[in-house]
Amino acid sequence: MILIRLWILILLLFGMTTPLFSGEPQEQLQQTTDKVLAILSDPNLKSPEKTKERRELILRVVDERFDWEEMARRCLARHWVQRTPEEKREFIHLFKELLQQVYMDKVEGYSWNKIQYEGETIDGNYGTVKVKIFTPKEQPIHVEYRLLKKGPTWLVYDFSIEGVSLVNNYRTQFNEIIVKSSYRELVKRLKTKVSQP
Amino acid sequence: MKRLNMEFGVGLFVIAGILCLGYLSIKLGRMEIFGGRGYEIYAIFSNTGGIKTGSTVVLAGVEVGRVKSISLENYQAKITLLLQPEVKIQEDAIASIKTKGLVGEKYIEITPGGSNEFIPPGGRIRETQPPVDLEDLISKILFEKI
Repeated sequence: MILIRLWILILLLFGMTTPLFSGEPQEQLQQTTDKVLAILSDPNLKSPEKTKERRELILRVVDERFDWEEMARRCLARHWVQRTPEEKREFIHLFKELLQQVYMDKVEGYSWNKIQYEGETIDGNYGTVKVKIFTPKEQPIHVEYRLLKKGPTWLVYDFSIEGVSLVNNYRTQFNEIIVKSSYRELVKRLKTKVSQP
Repeated sequence: MKRLNMEFGVGLFVIAGILCLGYLSIKLGRMEIFGGRGYEIYAIFSNTGGIKTGSTVVLAGVEVGRVKSISLENYQAKITLLLQPEVKIQEDAIASIKTKGLVGEKYIEITPGGSNEFIPPGGRIRETQPPVDLEDLISKILFEKI
């Protein structure tokens, strides 16, 4: 058991320092997913008091594959350009926290025992990977990742669940809040949402 | 002479009538004979959800164009949109197929992006979102419950 954990840790460290990935989007995404699965199935991390540690490990893996800035930029859309670098940094942080809060439960909740990769498409620097994730009741959930190539790595900038795009969803919501009140109000709302347990 | 004049008048009237009819049918049928004003861009959708040629394209609820043609490309739907020339679409805009109300007609909505690059005429909206299949969704919720 200790050996497995050590191995995962080495893999994590190794993955962070060297551009280990050179494959195409699906391959790289699969590597990330496998790492998350390894953490989730690690019996040493299963106990409730280890939750924090486990989540941190998962976050670190996900961080490598997700382009938070690109995601945040696309979600704010027209309003992104008007932000100062300071505001942008704050927003990216809040946005990341928000996604973490919304999706961490889901990531931990699903048994993830069956993931079916349904192929990738590449168009220049853009790629998509289609995945079918099965719930514990064998109900398939269609997820499509959209990735952007930066250097040798493919980074996720959007994903859609059952055809509904995350960026499109947040873009509409954020725009509505900003247009109705202000950007400050949006940040305030995000902050309260993130600080909720 | 007088009779000829009258016949000539009637003839003119009939021709005018036919022209009017032609104009009306083109306008009402939303046909474009001279290509129409504006520029074309296209988008690839995994499913059209029953959108038709002539369906509206809206941005912030305002009509900015129409669907010009729909064709099959590599088992996916390629939808060509004819947009008004003054409407510029950012490179990271998202095109999604929506329904007016629960069972109303389908239309394409464009959510503008924040990129500084715009899609040139003949270009492609990369980000698309197929219509949400309500039946599918309901069945999913139902089966999940059991």
